[in-house]
Amino acid sequence: MAIFAEKVTKTYQSGEVTVKALREASLTVPDKKIVTILGPSGSGKSTLLNVIGGIDRYDEGQIVVDGRTLDGLKDKQLTEYRRKNIGFIFQQYNLIPTLTVEENVEVGRELSSNPLPMEDTLKKVGMLDKKAKFPFQLSGGEQQRVAIARALIKNPNILLCDEPTGALDEDTGKNILKLLKYVNETYGTTVLIITHNQGIGEMAHQVIRMSSGEIVETFENETLVDPEQVTWS
Amino acid sequence: MILKKSMIRTLKEKKFQYAGVSLLLLLAVTLYVSLSMAVTTLEERNARFTEDYKQETFHFVPSEPVDSSKLQEWEEEFDVTLEARSYYDADVDDSVLRVFSQTEEINLPYLSEGSNPTDGSEIAVSSVFAEKNDLHIGDEVEISGERMEVTGFVYLPDYIYMIEQLTDLISDAEKFGIAIASESVMDQWSSRSQTEITGWTSDGEVPDGFMEAVRAETTILQFVEAGDNPRIQFVDTEIEGAKSMNNTLPLFILALAAAMVLLLMRRRIEMQRKEIGTLLALGYRRNELLRHYLGYAWVIGLSGTVLGLAAGAGLSVPLSNLYANYFNLPALSMFDFNPMVLVIGLIIPLVLMLSLTAWGIHRALKVEPLTLLRPKEVTVGRKSWLERLPLLNKGSFIQRFRLRLLVRNKARSLYIFLGVMFSTVLLLFGFITFNSMDQLVETTYEDIMTYDYAVYYQSLQTEEPADGSDPFTVGEVNVKGQDAKLTGYGIETGTPYIHLLSDEEKLNSELKEGAVLSTPAAAVLGVGAGEDITLTNSLNDEEMTVQVAGVADVYIGSQIYLPREVFNEFLGYPGDAYSAVWQAEKPERGADVYQIEDKQKVIDSFEATSGATRSSVIGMAVFAVVISVIVLTLLTNLIVEENSPSISLFKVMGYHNSEVSKLVLSVYTPVVMLSYLISIPLAGLTLGQLMNSLVEQTGFILPTDVSLWMAATGFVVIMLTYALSIALSKRKLKQVSLQEALKKQQD
Ligand SMILES: Nc1ncnc2c1ncn2[C@@H]1O[C@H](COP(=O)(O)OP(=O)(O)O)[C@@H](O)[C@H]1O
Ligand SMILES: [Mg+2]
Repeated sequence: MAIFAEKVTKTYQSGEVTVKALREASLTVPDKKIVTILGPSGSGKSTLLNVIGGIDRYDEGQIVVDGRTLDGLKDKQLTEYRRKNIGFIFQQYNLIPTLTVEENVEVGRELSSNPLPMEDTLKKVGMLDKKAKFPFQLSGGEQQRVAIARALIKNPNILLCDEPTGALDEDTGKNILKLLKYVNETYGTTVLIITHNQGIGEMAHQVIRMSSGEIVETFENETLVDPEQVTWS
Repeated sequence: MILKKSMIRTLKEKKFQYAGVSLLLLLAVTLYVSLSMAVTTLEERNARFTEDYKQETFHFVPSEPVDSSKLQEWEEEFDVTLEARSYYDADVDDSVLRVFSQTEEINLPYLSEGSNPTDGSEIAVSSVFAEKNDLHIGDEVEISGERMEVTGFVYLPDYIYMIEQLTDLISDAEKFGIAIASESVMDQWSSRSQTEITGWTSDGEVPDGFMEAVRAETTILQFVEAGDNPRIQFVDTEIEGAKSMNNTLPLFILALAAAMVLLLMRRRIEMQRKEIGTLLALGYRRNELLRHYLGYAWVIGLSGTVLGLAAGAGLSVPLSNLYANYFNLPALSMFDFNPMVLVIGLIIPLVLMLSLTAWGIHRALKVEPLTLLRPKEVTVGRKSWLERLPLLNKGSFIQRFRLRLLVRNKARSLYIFLGVMFSTVLLLFGFITFNSMDQLVETTYEDIMTYDYAVYYQSLQTEEPADGSDPFTVGEVNVKGQDAKLTGYGIETGTPYIHLLSDEEKLNSELKEGAVLSTPAAAVLGVGAGEDITLTNSLNDEEMTVQVAGVADVYIGSQIYLPREVFNEFLGYPGDAYSAVWQAEKPERGADVYQIEDKQKVIDSFEATSGATRSSVIGMAVFAVVISVIVLTLLTNLIVEENSPSISLFKVMGYHNSEVSKLVLSVYTPVVMLSYLISIPLAGLTLGQLMNSLVEQTGFILPTDVSLWMAATGFVVIMLTYALSIALSKRKLKQVSLQEALKKQQD
């Protein structure tokens, strides 16, 4: 699913301070591609992802997903939009501690009208043999796999990942990246990955660089590096 | 929804908290349903007995027999049913058995077992009397020297509350019972029996002019309308009182339960902010989440109410039986329930739980998912104005920590405060009632009424009374502009038998200045010393305005005391007339004696029922303790949960469990103590108000002073309760893991 953003502006007001989190950010994400958004902390990466994902609103500009604008959507309509199209993956995994692996994935499955098969999904993320475990019994990497499975099983058109490897070591992180690439290839899911890990850009079709709320650079990679081979920093 | 599983696991994990609230709800519903159902049964039985067995509208005692042709004449003139009924007070062992002639039109006996007595040696007795004296059908019993066979067990509709004299307060089945016998038996006793005329009208009112017509024929010694007859009226009073009480206590508990649910749900939402945010981001709809969280309310609400309904229905049966011991109502119906009771007992608590929860969650769900996903530190970090006080920034770290805890959780402190207050008031209600019974007897019957017997005559006496007996005049008086009826006593101011005490001070000499009222009379009229009241009476058109000279510590009955000459003049009696005497010696039952009141019997019946009072007081105290343990444990548990990061940190630093518990939990000790201290006068005050508002129905007022021993005992009980709830929460504190602190910092 293609995403277009045009001159998107977002301002936060907290007390006396006004922060321009996004300044006329424009981008085009082609369908079925992996895009990484790079940039230092506070540069507006998360804000961009959140407005695309419909959990935050922008003040000005325009975002069009799959030919439909997010402009002026009501709360309910935004929820339906997320429900149908978006899979979120967070840095902190955000699993439900009182549910098992399988049940956590089920939480995602219930939202979809055409979910992927459960066993299959668990197998894809390599968590089938641990499906009865609770989150506190899992390592960080394993928890992130479950979070991916939860997003994946909905069979969403877009997967939005906010620093998915931020809390993981190199090996585990690369495994997660492999998984994301696999998802993109197998299901044709558009994948947006936020990271401040420069190397991850090497595996994406397109790289967007942000600074102080502006998109300062956009480029396409001629050749894609295998996730296993990216430079980890 | 798969989230249901999450709810079930949370409920299991925090079963202590949720079960606690559910238990509170259960208590409220059980109490409400059982009491309401028991009262409904009582009401139904009373209504059917009154109607179907033609309970009298009034009865009167003429000084001379009235012949039946005269009765017939009145019946036609006033459209009233009249029937003469004779009775004889027989001595059976230590007790009095009042044997009535069988009636056919009014006050029809209900035979619960056996058959009606037919010949001269048969009798049917009241079932309570039979039970107390271990009598069975076919047994022989000696009555006034004659052996008679018990043929059956009866109930009379004008002896529902079975007291020997209308002035008696407490019914004692050991000392007094009723029976019916055939005409031939009554004929044998005719020389010693009394006759009263009972009357019945379809509208339940005494016909206009009827009393005057009777008075033209004969002197009326006593005229009692059903509404003024405690044997009939008391059950109505009890029903009314119980109805209002039934709602109050359960409502309070329900309110507590509701507050707790709100507390728990808000806590749950706080804990699951991030979870809610995640679910919203994933695309869950707000009303789906609302439904999910309402599940908690459904579980708590349904388990509490359904179990409460079942327990309440079950408990209503023994409660009905308990009522049956007090009131002699035949079991004309069983297990009556007003469907409204079930509906109210189920619907109100459930709706309350659901709507409160919905309200609590709604606020959290309105928040943007992004805000929910962000750590809450931003909002928690805000200092309250209290914390900025310089006082709170002094002292050691520990002291500051404890003070912060108190100040930050103002809501917790408030809940603890209210919980303790509720329990204290309930506990002290119990203590006061317990104590008052003794005080009531002591003050009224020992310090104030120093006579042993009162002898009431059939007609006015004028000759000098015998040595050792002191004359007085009794009569009913009305107060102008008020609905109340008082019993007037014209007494010798120097009488040795009545010491009108008010706080140890004797008011007898004040009678020269005006009238002295009993405490209930003053409460009913709403007057105090120094105010004027205008009296009227039903014998003549006299009006008399007197000043209230004082209110005596007579806690039972609505009496007004006046000097005898004054009272006689008001009633139109000769100055030296009297209608009764007090004396210390046991009187003979002379021909002109209408009634003898034995003070010891009245006291005995108080003592006899003190067992029942005692158990109800114990029940109340247990109730208070159970509720406060639940509430306090719930709260301390929550406090531990909320502070688990700090607790964990303390543990990491090397504090022992007991030290940590002291640090965190005992912070609330001053709150508990403060609440207790404030509750003591509050309990006295509210009970006093309650007594005053009920005095018109009950006719007595219990002294409501909180004495030192009550305050001390209550303090010990409340502190023990608090200690228990802390001990229960210590387990929880031990479970807080050391990693908790580190985990929280990661988020
Ligand atoms: N809710 C908010 N209120 C105020 N400022 C915010 C809020 N969310 C983000 N910001 C600010 O907006 C800017 C961009 O934040 P963010 O998009 O989270 O950056 P990044 O993800 O690149 O680190 C930052 O300066 C941040 O402090
Ligand atoms: Mg970010």
